Amino acid sequence: MKKILVPFCLFLVTLAYSQDDLLKSLDSTQIEDSYSTATFKALQLVTLQTTKMPAKKEFYFVVSHRFGSVKDGFDSFFGLDNATTKLGGIYGVTDWLSVSLSRHTLNKMYEIGLKYRMARQNDNFPLDIVGYSVADINTFLEKDQYPGLEFKHRMTYVQQLLISRKVSDKFSLELVPSFIHKNLYTPEIERDNQFSFGGGGRYKITKRLSVNLEYMHNFDKPDFYKNPLSVGLDIETGGHIFQLIFTNSQSMSESGYLTNASGDWGKGDFFFGFNLYRVF
Amino acid sequence: MKKSFINFFALLLVIAANTGGFAQKLITKTGNIKFQASMPSYEEVAAESKSVSAVLDQTTGDFASLVLIKGFRFKVALMEEHFNENYMESEKFPKATFKGKIEDFDSSKITASPKNFTLKGELTIHGKTKPVSVIVKISKAQNGVKTIGSFEVKPEDFAIEIPSLVRKKIADKIEIDYNFLLIK
Repeated sequence: MKKILVPFCLFLVTLAYSQDDLLKSLDSTQIEDSYSTATFKALQLVTLQTTKMPAKKEFYFVVSHRFGSVKDGFDSFFGLDNATTKLGGIYGVTDWLSVSLSRHTLNKMYEIGLKYRMARQNDNFPLDIVGYSVADINTFLEKDQYPGLEFKHRMTYVQQLLISRKVSDKFSLELVPSFIHKNLYTPEIERDNQFSFGGGGRYKITKRLSVNLEYMHNFDKPDFYKNPLSVGLDIETGGHIFQLIFTNSQSMSESGYLTNASGDWGKGDFFFGFNLYRVF
Repeated sequence: MKKSFINFFALLLVIAANTGGFAQKLITKTGNIKFQASMPSYEEVAAESKSVSAVLDQTTGDFASLVLIKGFRFKVALMEEHFNENYMESEKFPKATFKGKIEDFDSSKITASPKNFTLKGELTIHGKTKPVSVIVKISKAQNGVKTIGSFEVKPEDFAIEIPSLVRKKIADKIEIDYNFLLIK
């Protein structure tokens, strides 16, 4: 009798486990892609671009402000009297290509940008690599001031490579080699061709909050301007991304941000601002 | 002698139970699950996966299903990203599963017109498991059966945290519709 019991129990065990086996048999039917997502919450780290791309047919509306320097205190209400604005749109042509157009108060600048993804971080490749090409058109320049002014003098170009890695759920890093060419420049304080290298990172302090930091070092810069150093806070509120920013470079155009930082953190001369994104 | 014969017979039975069912399995890899968590007058919160796996053992009525969280598609890509990153934490919990049994299942009773059965089992979402009992409509299809149904789940039952800021925009009960064409 005892001997019958053994296989009988075995029989019961197989019955009990058959649902699990059934579920296990499904494991092999699903192949998961290993692409890293949400390396950064927003399209911008602080003012630099991130490797995040808009999805195909996705339209982002962006409003950004950089106020005047906080150093004047109550005189300009910590810079809030002297706001500069960027209004723009970004459209995802495909998942790997987006176009952007924006208008900046500072220097009455128009900025056209192309962003294109070249590689994505996954199990077999460690990095996201994205190219960013920008043309800035300065419409502030007047013929009265510069009699020999031609349209080409209004142009400034920036070429960047954005290289990022999602190190962990919370921590992501980015490196940004940049080349800037200015058709019009003041030789005493700057150069026509400049190379700038730096980057930044983000750390998520909660699921919907992250602290971002970025620094760019300009290798072709006489002493007049500073290198941009910025810190930001990303706040995700459903369909919006809200970024609070402190920076020593007031400009929001790529070339202005990288080459014309006028603030000095050490002297309390920096700018408050924010980026607001809405997705359609 | 007699005892060992019984033993041998029992062992055969075990093997038969394990392998015999194999031929009786109906399976799909392209099942469909939709969920709807919208609130009236707010932005639509809904998604669909068209690559759900499911398997039914016709002899026992045992049923299992598996879906990858990353496979759910939303209308708004950013919503999809937030769903994966913050709500479902799909890098930590990549899949949702169900295992259970269709009660009183008898394949010979399945006809072209849908018949209600009770499906009882365990649903695992976001790493949390809960017993569920749902009504499933089963009808005959070419080379297999069609199973459709719908049920509701509460996010808090599966420890899916919804921040107060968006609480009003997401339904308390999330409706899940499934549609599987299980074939040999």
